[in-house]
Amino acid sequence: MIRSINKILAFTLCACLTLFTACEIEEVIDPNNPSLDGVLNDASQSEIQSLVTGLEAAHRGYFNNATQLFGTFGREVWPYFGSDPRFQQDWLGTNITETYPDFFGSAGTYTTPYQAIRQANVLIQSAQNASVLSNEQLNGVTGFAKTLEAYQYIWPLMQQYDNGIRIDVDEPLNPGPFLEYDDALAAIRMLLNEGNSDLGNAGSSFFFDLTSGFSGFNDPDGMQQVNRAIAARLALYAEDYQGALTALNNSFMDLNVTEATSDKMFIGPAHVYGEAPDVNNPLFYPLDQPTNTILIVHPALIEDALPGDARLDKFAERVNNPVQNSGITDANGNQLLGRYQDARWATNTSPIPFIRNEELILIYAEANAQLGNAAEAVDAINTIRNTWGLADYDGATDTESLMEEILFQRRYSLWAEAGHRWIDLRRTGRLNSDYVDLRDTGNIFTEVARRTSETNWENRNG
Amino acid sequence: MGHSLKQTVLLLFAVFAMSTAAVAQFTVTGSVQDASGEPLIGVSIVIKGTTTGTASDLDGTFEINIPDGTESTLMFSYTGYKTSEVNVTRVNNTVNLTMEEDIAKLDEVVVTGLASGVKRSNSGVAVATVSGEELTENTTAQTLDNALYGKVPGVLMQSNSGAPGGGINMQLRGISTLGAGSSQPLYIVDGVYVDNSSIRTGRTQVSGASGGATTATQDGAANRIADLNPDDIANIEVLKGPSAAAIYGTRANAGVIIITTKKGQAGKTKVSLSQDIGFAQGQNFIGFDSWDEDKIVNFFGQDAAAPELEKLRAAQAEGRVTDWEEYFYGETPLLSNTNLRVSGGNQKTQFYVSGGAQSEDGIIEGTGFDRYSIRANIDHRLNDFIRLSVNSNYVNSVSDRGFTGNQNNTGGSLGYSIAYTPSYADLYPDDAGNYPDNQYFNDNPIAIRDLGVNEQKVDRFITAFNMDIDLLQTSNAFLKLKVNGGIDYLSGNSQVYFPEVLQHQRAQANPGDVMWGRQDIFNTNLQAFLTYNTNIGSVNSNTSVGGVRLDQDSEFLLSRGRGLLLGQNNLQWAQVVSTQEQTNQTVTDLGWVAQQDFNWEDKLILSLGVRFDRSTLNRDQEKYYAFPKASLAANLSNFDFWNLSDVNQFKLRAAYGETGGLPNFGNTFESLNSQLIGGSIGSQVSARSIDPNLEPETASELEFGLDIGLFDNRITFEGTYYNKEVRDLILDLTPAGSVGVGAIATNAADLTNEGIELAVGFNPVRSTNLDWFTKLMWWTNESEITRLDIPTRTVGGFGNSLGTYLIAEGYSPTTIVGNPSGTSIPGGLTVYGDRQPDFTMTWFNQINFLKNFDLSFLFHYQGGGSAINLSALLWDLGGTTPGWDDDPDGDGVGVGSERVAAWSGGNTGVYIEDTDYLKLRELGLYYTFPQSALPGPLERLKIGASVNNLLLWTNYGSYDPEVSNFGAQPITGNIEVTPFPSSRRIFFHVKMDF
Repeated sequence: MIRSINKILAFTLCACLTLFTACEIEEVIDPNNPSLDGVLNDASQSEIQSLVTGLEAAHRGYFNNATQLFGTFGREVWPYFGSDPRFQQDWLGTNITETYPDFFGSAGTYTTPYQAIRQANVLIQSAQNASVLSNEQLNGVTGFAKTLEAYQYIWPLMQQYDNGIRIDVDEPLNPGPFLEYDDALAAIRMLLNEGNSDLGNAGSSFFFDLTSGFSGFNDPDGMQQVNRAIAARLALYAEDYQGALTALNNSFMDLNVTEATSDKMFIGPAHVYGEAPDVNNPLFYPLDQPTNTILIVHPALIEDALPGDARLDKFAERVNNPVQNSGITDANGNQLLGRYQDARWATNTSPIPFIRNEELILIYAEANAQLGNAAEAVDAINTIRNTWGLADYDGATDTESLMEEILFQRRYSLWAEAGHRWIDLRRTGRLNSDYVDLRDTGNIFTEVARRTSETNWENRNG
Repeated sequence: MGHSLKQTVLLLFAVFAMSTAAVAQFTVTGSVQDASGEPLIGVSIVIKGTTTGTASDLDGTFEINIPDGTESTLMFSYTGYKTSEVNVTRVNNTVNLTMEEDIAKLDEVVVTGLASGVKRSNSGVAVATVSGEELTENTTAQTLDNALYGKVPGVLMQSNSGAPGGGINMQLRGISTLGAGSSQPLYIVDGVYVDNSSIRTGRTQVSGASGGATTATQDGAANRIADLNPDDIANIEVLKGPSAAAIYGTRANAGVIIITTKKGQAGKTKVSLSQDIGFAQGQNFIGFDSWDEDKIVNFFGQDAAAPELEKLRAAQAEGRVTDWEEYFYGETPLLSNTNLRVSGGNQKTQFYVSGGAQSEDGIIEGTGFDRYSIRANIDHRLNDFIRLSVNSNYVNSVSDRGFTGNQNNTGGSLGYSIAYTPSYADLYPDDAGNYPDNQYFNDNPIAIRDLGVNEQKVDRFITAFNMDIDLLQTSNAFLKLKVNGGIDYLSGNSQVYFPEVLQHQRAQANPGDVMWGRQDIFNTNLQAFLTYNTNIGSVNSNTSVGGVRLDQDSEFLLSRGRGLLLGQNNLQWAQVVSTQEQTNQTVTDLGWVAQQDFNWEDKLILSLGVRFDRSTLNRDQEKYYAFPKASLAANLSNFDFWNLSDVNQFKLRAAYGETGGLPNFGNTFESLNSQLIGGSIGSQVSARSIDPNLEPETASELEFGLDIGLFDNRITFEGTYYNKEVRDLILDLTPAGSVGVGAIATNAADLTNEGIELAVGFNPVRSTNLDWFTKLMWWTNESEITRLDIPTRTVGGFGNSLGTYLIAEGYSPTTIVGNPSGTSIPGGLTVYGDRQPDFTMTWFNQINFLKNFDLSFLFHYQGGGSAINLSALLWDLGGTTPGWDDDPDGDGVGVGSERVAAWSGGNTGVYIEDTDYLKLRELGLYYTFPQSALPGPLERLKIGASVNNLLLWTNYGSYDPEVSNFGAQPITGNIEVTPFPSSRRIFFHVKMDF
């Protein structure tokens, strides 16, 4: 009896064991996406190409937030976004005089560009580990990556300003210190210079493809011109006016623009957009449709414009559908109507240049004005004015007067292109209610509070 | 396998035939019936101290041979009845037993192992059981989980919204995960692991609730346990903590809910038909503020008021000033629930076949939930030692949940829209069906309601099979092989659609937006156990060993089409078609279990067990993790020294167990994401990263309890204390924001949940004309993070200024915080409350009077708790809060504007409110016709009326303090954004048995 029990037991156990072990468990690897490890270890050219394309995609992430948030701070635009009151209450600062940590709707000009920076760092690391690349090919990748990376650092720095930012962010768990504004700016310019010199050693062409946003600039030489254009902007921010002129010299600046050739104002590399799963042009809104979610042109731009300024074509009146929002009122509690919208974009897939000839001409004017070359400055100012149907500048030519004129022209030329107005007023000491129209009873912010994750990291590991 | 099974069976058969040798014996015969004289079929009759037994037959009669000796004791046990012991001798060998109903349920068998159970009175752990009658006899709940409200101590149940078709967050014994794993209990139906996920529909993207992020959870979809028909359920056992749930190992951190469906019983074929018909109505309206000329001037300002005043006068003249809340939520929809059951069988084969049709519309026009279910449960005894059963269920359910909750830029939420829309707005369509534009918000909510589609259809097969083989049976031992498993196949389709004619669609580049979702889930599980039971002296020993395997495969595809033409919703008519999300998942778990139980004469009961599990969801897919458990019950009242005769039960129990929590699929991969730009696909580094040494979350629990029965169990008391520790919680380390990695998954935290569960049952009156049973339950849970290796952080919600949750050492993870910052708590911010209540209390009463009347009611009280009421913020912003322009302080600024100013000035607390409530969950009154009055074939006729959620008392300033904009969340529930209001449901019932 006992023996047969044992038999049964043994038999059944065997049967069960067979049942379970016969079905081997295969290791499950991500069925939906490729792994990060794969591109970091001896990547192929097509893997590097996909990281390059990924970087270009990440490179455009900041633009919407910079235009909306910084634009609101500088009162280029009003955020008539009906669904969340913080777009009005917080961004305009109607009940607060300073921002708070993790300020509403500010990650787009902080976390987003830093993700692009990480993408650039991974791309550089991947290229350096890829045995398939020649030295020139490697320099092409790193030069391109460093150029875009340096450009991305602008956004957190502009947002944080006096708080400073981190530049050394290679190791996620061991980030470098915060650098003050001037030091950070210097570090970014240095990175940009490295990119420029890498591009100088990258041969005559890239092995990778870029989108049509870089057409005309998609070889090492063209990319160097983009690099120098960015360098000119940063030199201006650093008040290195001679440096700005030098950089402009090696950029794609073209001072020879007239009313007939006004298209040349828009020469420059662009962020491209497309239909899903690509991303739409974030500033495109169909004209005059009934909605209460739309970016509105600040009325001061309409009121202050010079008669005949062709740049007013950027704005379209919402004849049938002016928009209102209970968060945008005057001092007497009257809701202010939003009457004009952005009319620059033909479709929701129109590309947006991120640095273009018109800005370079204005940098040229400003650098010369600051260096005392009034005649050069006035010439450049007139290039802008004449292109847009305005007569020559006839005001005073002392530096202060020229600066007033240049800032006025920048306000219209670079309107709603990633928040120039707020940055310009701040760097020239004009960020006050003489220059910022506060009819909405809001306040002016100089910078955005440091993010909680940074404070926490400092408290914990600092 | 088929071959080897056959061999086994043959072999067993041979062995069994040999072992039936004749010995000196005598025969006992008799019959068993219930109090009304009805024969009880299938009563288990076992000779005490042995494992030998039989069962009563169709007439309630039995015959059993007593081996050896001159006297013996027979134990009669039957589900729902108290176990009886009867002494028999060679002379006194006829038994005629009337079994007594088991009000205190001490004799029901509760699950303690994957292949074993014990009588409740012997259980060393607290296992809550809810019977099918308790679920469905008092009133009709819409979904299975809804029917559990207030019936299980230690559970925190919260409805996510009042939308038809369910959607409940169920958390057992506090917080089990901070988000990396499942916070919802594991559901097992007849041994099958069933899917309880909420299937994404993409409403989030279409309504703009979240700006295109695929991980967002604002779809408002229901959890799929809603597919089960509550009427099919025989009972539900709830293993609340690791001490009871350890047998389910690596998936049991959030507890296990074991559902057993009804079975047929041998005897006459029974046919039961029940029909519920009723209606629903909004439970609690805010009462939107009315608009007059003063208020318009106040709201829009003097300058902007003129055109508004004209609109008000026009609306008044045309008689179309509307209370939009009443207009949209004021429907009284029809509710219908039909169930037909046929069951019966003979000694060899029993069957239970049922069909159910539930059709309920919602209080918003166009919403509703329909479920059609058929089931066949077949039990068959192949021969004396093999029993087979197959339980098969097909379900088709359709939910139309409408558009409520959050939105951005679309008006794709009725509640959100009407918060901003004054009563005089001109929204009514003309005769041609053209809807006017809504100047106050992104869309006309009437158009959204009438033209938008948000539908989810599910087809589902759940099939369980079970085979018990008696490998060996002697007078003192038996050996059984139990093989069971099953399949859960779910096919889901969803559509979310906004046609191109809608106002907000016309304001977009490609008007017309449709999202089609397709989900296939295929789960299979298989387990095999050997159980050996024997008596060692006066100790009964039960040993089981076995293995468990679970495989899950799922494929999910969400496709979006924009720019639709000619009113079409087919993707072929979209100008822009894109894949919103495609996610495939494959998971395998494998586990080995051993359990040893000892029972010394029902005095001391010891249970020991261990389970080893591996899973492909772990970072280390090959590593086995061990989950031990132990429990001890001491029935002091069964010891010889016990002489308090009024105290018929006095049990002390202690239990310890460990369980695991698996990371959600994908959380252990470090992958690249795809992004299209300018016609090329690029790969982007994810903002998430993973600690290479990531371990699964584990929980351990120590539980102590005391169960007392007084006066023949007319008073019962059950008290339990538990301390549940969850270790190695996977939490995102948030690096400095500048490093481009937003989160690194690490084992960063431990937390404890400490709680007390008390239940007192009392049967104060038990007479023919009045039988009153009352049960009071009270429970509490406190959670605290005891270790946190990462910087303090906040999670969930819409950022600090709109309220969020704090993860900090020394605080409960359900702590609600907000602005202003700069206070003493870590990470700044201000503490405003806790999502978990201080305590919960329920009071159930069942009164049978004048023989044929049954009255029952269930009160549910929640003390404490807080929620973030963003609806109130929107109402204040839109001027719709009741009394918006009241000005008690006389400063010329109304209270609504003052609240907004205080909030935007940095005080989030303005919109964080207490969620204390008292609800009358269930109220039912039934009349059962006396049998003599029934015609012909009718055996039972019961009619009645009932109400679900009749009354709600709360100070919470919105529809219902139970709310969650983000669905069932581990910690970040209780955030509301204009949800679907909850409803009261009133029913009339007819139940007939033939």
